[in-house]
Amino acid sequence: MRALAVKILLWGYAAFSMAPLLVMVLSSLRPTSEIFDQPLGRPTGFGNYVKAWTDASFSTYVVNSAVVVVCAVLLGAGVSLLAAYPLGRREFRGRSMFAAYFISGMTLPAHLGVLPLFYLLESMGLVDSLTGLVLIYAAGSVPFNVFVLTAFFRQLPHELDEAAALDGAGPFATFWHVMLPLVRPALATVVVFQFVPIWNDFFYPLVLMRDESKLTLPVGLTHFFGQFQNDWGTLFAGLVMTTIPLVVLFVLATRQIVAGLTAGMNR
Amino acid sequence: MRLAAVVALAIAVTACAPSATTRAAQDKVTLSVWGWGPEANYDKMFAEYEKLNPGIDVDARSFTTSTEYDTILSTGLAGDSGPDLAWLRAGPQLQPLVEAGRLLPLDAEDVPGLADFDAGVLRAATGDKDGKVYGVPFAVQTLQVVYNKKIFAAHGLTPPKTYDEMIAAAGKLKAGGVVPFAFGGKDDWMLPIVASIFGTAQWGGDEFIAAVKAKEKKFADPRFVAGIDQLNKLKPYFPENVAGVSYTDAQILFSSGKAAMFPGGLWELNFFTENAKDIELGVFTPPAPEGQGLMPGFTDGSYGVNVKTRHKAEALKFAAWLASKDYGRLYTDTVRTFSAVPGVTPKDPLLGEVATTFDQHGAAYFMNEFAYGNPSSAAVFSKALQEMLLGRITAGEAAQRLDQSVSTWL
Amino acid sequence: MALGARRGSSYLFLIPALLLYSAFVVYPLFTGLTYSFFSWKGTLRDGFAGVDNYAGLLSGTFLDQLLPALGHNFLLFAGTMLVQNTLGLAFAVALSRVRRGKRALQTMFALPYLVNPLVIGYLWTLLLSPTFGPVNSLLKPLGLAMPWLGDPQTALPTVIVITTWQWVGFPMLLFSAALSGIPPEYGEAARTDGAGSWQVFWRITLPLLKPAMATVTILSFIGSMGTFALVYALGGSNGAPAGATDVLGLLFYRTAFASGDVNALGTSSALAVFMFTFIFGSTLLLERVLRRKA
Repeated sequence: MRALAVKILLWGYAAFSMAPLLVMVLSSLRPTSEIFDQPLGRPTGFGNYVKAWTDASFSTYVVNSAVVVVCAVLLGAGVSLLAAYPLGRREFRGRSMFAAYFISGMTLPAHLGVLPLFYLLESMGLVDSLTGLVLIYAAGSVPFNVFVLTAFFRQLPHELDEAAALDGAGPFATFWHVMLPLVRPALATVVVFQFVPIWNDFFYPLVLMRDESKLTLPVGLTHFFGQFQNDWGTLFAGLVMTTIPLVVLFVLATRQIVAGLTAGMNR
Repeated sequence: MRLAAVVALAIAVTACAPSATTRAAQDKVTLSVWGWGPEANYDKMFAEYEKLNPGIDVDARSFTTSTEYDTILSTGLAGDSGPDLAWLRAGPQLQPLVEAGRLLPLDAEDVPGLADFDAGVLRAATGDKDGKVYGVPFAVQTLQVVYNKKIFAAHGLTPPKTYDEMIAAAGKLKAGGVVPFAFGGKDDWMLPIVASIFGTAQWGGDEFIAAVKAKEKKFADPRFVAGIDQLNKLKPYFPENVAGVSYTDAQILFSSGKAAMFPGGLWELNFFTENAKDIELGVFTPPAPEGQGLMPGFTDGSYGVNVKTRHKAEALKFAAWLASKDYGRLYTDTVRTFSAVPGVTPKDPLLGEVATTFDQHGAAYFMNEFAYGNPSSAAVFSKALQEMLLGRITAGEAAQRLDQSVSTWL
Repeated sequence: MALGARRGSSYLFLIPALLLYSAFVVYPLFTGLTYSFFSWKGTLRDGFAGVDNYAGLLSGTFLDQLLPALGHNFLLFAGTMLVQNTLGLAFAVALSRVRRGKRALQTMFALPYLVNPLVIGYLWTLLLSPTFGPVNSLLKPLGLAMPWLGDPQTALPTVIVITTWQWVGFPMLLFSAALSGIPPEYGEAARTDGAGSWQVFWRITLPLLKPAMATVTILSFIGSMGTFALVYALGGSNGAPAGATDVLGLLFYRTAFASGDVNALGTSSALAVFMFTFIFGSTLLLERVLRRKA
């Protein structure tokens, strides 16, 4: 009886969660004039998608986005994982100071640093380069990553280090063989949750990129917004198309990142 | 996993390395231009210039996200990778770039066309402190009511000649199940625009604004209060829950034929022509209770030259063309709004009609003259008008808030 | 192995992250903070201004915006804790007992997070639009149609609901991960002692989830205090309607980028220093209180 109530609650919320997205998909399959007459209705065809695809040239931007996001997430997660281990598990002078230093980056409006950042990248010759974007995104993901991963390292049972030390393992061996396999769920969470905001950001590419062949997907999206703000059908079609890669990745990720990391690193 | 990461990083490094861009035509000078709005318009207009000047390649880049444009431009001009020319905002919004010394002052020697421009129009492209001109204004916008001719005809209506006629017409439309005025108060920048469309005549247009600037009058003046109170008076003829209706909602109400009139800028004409092809458009200036209404207008942005441009001579030559009648005509016909270049007669009959009205009954749009301060008085007043529309404060209180904000910088 | 060498290796682990983070996050932000002590002409630094920019923050017109914005940030935090994180925990616990469809449910709960905040703002504005929105057209026959985002009374609660819709997957995943780390023997042991499932939850599970709750609380606090993208997409830079959804992030954005003030950089940097001091200070305090060993 109670199990049934829980089930109803869960599936009910799932419906609430999905409904806006379904409205988006549904509307993308209807002509705009019909949407205005009747907000909800039966889908009629793929005309909007053809229009959105031919007008928005998303394909040019997808590759850039993918390269930037993958590089940034790997780099950001990698360095954060290393840093989180001593912060969460080991005693050393200045530990809480370092932890606070990493958190501090999360508590400022990111746009505050845009002018100094622009000058910095210019002095390094990294304006109008995807490398610059990768470095910004990877560095920007460090505070969140370190914070979450530190908390997870801290939660692992104390006996683990002691056992490893008894086996004569050094700190790097302990990290690699003992700790890493255990923080995989947290690592997957971190990867998934950093992937999305980086994939969706359009501010930095707008400010830093000059060459149109180096723009990323969200920039294309902002153009699209301006162009079709009153043509809801086409707009929704475009929105669905830009969101689908993420959905596919996410569905794969919840399965693969967790499973993949577990299997791959356990050899 | 380790291998995958290494491979991914290797790919990333190669992919991220700056690629050598090959310049096909070395002898061609490329002028880059930044702006906002539809990119196709730029390409179309600048192609004409490229035809006349075979050695020049004009590369236009449009940023549709107008909100980020200011950041993009100010960082771009601060660095070495900015554009040669760029669209600049008008009036107060231009001053930070001027004072930072990012722009090349333009004079009539380099850009002869500027000499013919109306002084009032040029003021929007002028530095407040040094009085130098920093841009070639590209457009003049007027504010009025756009209406749907078919709906008017179906209800036996013509553009109203008196205020009472307008109210009667709005009542008739409402009774017929049509939203009289498509107006949304959720996007607050629309509020002073619509307030000025219905109220400018009532507070006495330019004369009143000059008196406020001279500190002889305050916005709390009964005439100004009565002017903005028009928003309250007309509320029954706006969409339901008007403060929750967005600008786009209002546009759609009109373009889908659910509303008969749209109070707004001239740029809406272009927009509705594109998005509501089967609607026959007309324009009128709403009459005031005392009689003839006034049509507010303002100078939109301008083309400025980056002080760091590597092609100064070419950029100035291009700027000179932008101040010419040739460009003025091209702009008016392409974008379907008024060019700021003097003496350009629009081909479009509707634009011609607006031009005539503006010549006879034009006035300066008040808000742009009061957009100084941080928070800017325009932002303070927009918010106050929104609260007024929600019934939280009176028109008099809204005017007082504007006075209070203006007193911090005037 | 010598103790000193072991300690030294801790710093080795930190170096890569420190380098990357210091160069591309701390250096630009810190430089941005120093801007608050100068007067500015656009992007050009003018003279030393002392505390003038800070004095400007305390002026009447500015303070009239700052205090309500700060209040709204706190309301958002309270709403997030009460609605989003409570639901996230409930879902994580419920899902840990579900056999069939667990992954599908998890994915569905987390899916809204994937959508670009800009798009979310756009989508919900359309859904809740008083003229064309399907939500109101569904609610109208029931007499429940509301202006949602158009009424100052309902705007902020609506923002909280949309935030929850977008973010609930995050606490859910964190709690799920934490739950999977609890050995099942703990609960079984208690159950053999005759404890009901509520008792097991309260006495065993919840205390073990404390570290995860601390993480979620602190991240929610920082998120609520720094929120920008969603409120911007829903109510524009002024926090429409009538400033009912105005928050610190919007105020900073307006001051820095949308005012047209020549000294915008100075004033906005001073505001950022205030925000930083307040948010960072509170975070450290929260961290200390929540991570205190019981």
